[in-house]
Amino acid sequence: MMRLVDLAKVIRSKNAGPLHVTLDLMFSDQAGYDHAAASPSLGRAAIAGVYGIALEKVSVIPYPAAFAIKIVIDRPVIAGSPGDCDVYGAQQHRPLLEIEL
Amino acid sequence: MTAVARLRNLGLGPDQSLKVLSASGQLGYGIPEKAYRAGLERRPHVICCDMGSVDPGPAYLGSGTMATSPEITRRDLQMVVSGALQLGVPLIIGTAGTAGAQPHLDATLDIVRSIAKSDGLSFRLAYIPADLPPAFVKAQAAAGKSRPLGGVAPLDSATIDGASHIVGQMGVGRLLAALETEPDIIIAGRACDTAVFAAVPWWLGYDKALAMHMAKIIECTSLCCVPGGRDAMLATLKRDSFVLESMNPARANTPLSVAAHSLYEQADPYRVYEPEGVLDIASARYEAVDERRTRVSGAVWHPAEALTIKIEGAERVGERAILCAASCDPRVIERAEIITAEVEAMVAEIVPPQPEPYQIFFHIYGKGAVSLFPGTSGAPQPNEIFFLVECIAGTAEKAKTVVGVVKQFLLHHGFAGRLSTGGNIAFPFTPPEINAGSAYRFSIYHLLEVESDAELFPVMVEEI
Repeated sequence: MMRLVDLAKVIRSKNAGPLHVTLDLMFSDQAGYDHAAASPSLGRAAIAGVYGIALEKVSVIPYPAAFAIKIVIDRPVIAGSPGDCDVYGAQQHRPLLEIEL
Repeated sequence: MTAVARLRNLGLGPDQSLKVLSASGQLGYGIPEKAYRAGLERRPHVICCDMGSVDPGPAYLGSGTMATSPEITRRDLQMVVSGALQLGVPLIIGTAGTAGAQPHLDATLDIVRSIAKSDGLSFRLAYIPADLPPAFVKAQAAAGKSRPLGGVAPLDSATIDGASHIVGQMGVGRLLAALETEPDIIIAGRACDTAVFAAVPWWLGYDKALAMHMAKIIECTSLCCVPGGRDAMLATLKRDSFVLESMNPARANTPLSVAAHSLYEQADPYRVYEPEGVLDIASARYEAVDERRTRVSGAVWHPAEALTIKIEGAERVGERAILCAASCDPRVIERAEIITAEVEAMVAEIVPPQPEPYQIFFHIYGKGAVSLFPGTSGAPQPNEIFFLVECIAGTAEKAKTVVGVVKQFLLHHGFAGRLSTGGNIAFPFTPPEINAGSAYRFSIYHLLEVESDAELFPVMVEEI
């Protein structure tokens, strides 16, 4: 097993507008991208499980032009509303660091 | 002759190179000077800057204030105004003053007028307000011409009336209208980031898809480089492609870094939705010109059948006060969630949440306070935790009263198994209760279909 954190060059999160968090996984080369893109650990169901959220709140979009995989998750709280804890959504990538491919 | 009139007289078109300098993606936070000056030396045909976003949250749109400091905002505006006037080229600034509503636009215009006065400058200024009248939004909603984005509720009258400001993101069309007034400087209220950078290329007849793709990349200046940064970016647009070059020689545009930028803060890396259409970059090509420059081509523009404006509104939800405290006691740390729940119940007895309701949020740093999602449990026990206690109430006095009571009960709460009878928490300073101003939320984040946007975003002209 290989850990995602050992293969990826970038693992980041950020708001994509106030309603969504986007998680970008970027790899150094085609081989790294192919390995990750083929892994069920980065499928929608697996990501929903890791984040503890419903499947329909997750989309996974391969972006081979940049050796990248984008994951988009609905925010449980609109950015900056009462009860938010990360207005820019820049610190929501932590659960990805535990993933094994 | 004004800068835009001069640009028109140049007779540029797709067979010539058009140089667009992106001076700033966040005007007011400090433009890196060296790269900007290097950009001016390249003699761009237009200088463009973005000045705002929804990213910093609802407080700025709600309160009508800027996120950036007056001092640095003035510095940056002075740099771009004087740079553009010295070169005699147009300056276009979008989403004035962080959120682009009337108070933000007014504050930005006041600074520009003040710079003109102090520096002895004169120019023709076109500006474009972006506030939508509540009555118009209501009428469109009643006619079934609005739809919410994501999980936002459909528009109703109470929501529209509750918003302290409602703005629409204007598209390229309104900037083209401003260019027709032949000004030197255009300052737009809330505008699509892309519109600011694509306007002059569209006006001169360059390919719409290429111009929009170029705009989408350079609106963040040198963020698409390795290493990424905030230095000015030059784009050179021709008939069939554009070339990107950072004005900081330490930053390189590589095909990979530019392609990867399409991921940034976007839910869909293949499509960019604009009022006038959709940019499709799935077929885009990225080729190295040399080690620091990349040529981009191949995007496709699909014009929309109807004009669609994204609208944003923020409403005040109350006044916020916070309490700062921390603990290194293992039993307090272990039982923090139980302690805070018990404290909240006791506070409700002292300060009844009716008839003046309030909300308390215990952010317990060290125990998952940063995570929006539940899937991060199982972390080891930390050595220290930080309590950021937040109260939102109808008045600042009430909010501070509540956190003050929380403070005393959290300090002395006799929870089961307690050792630390001198106090459960440490305060870094006194008073640890702080009024934090008004709290806001985005109440409107919808799409509005409109027949025409000309009256929504009127172009005003002022000779300075």
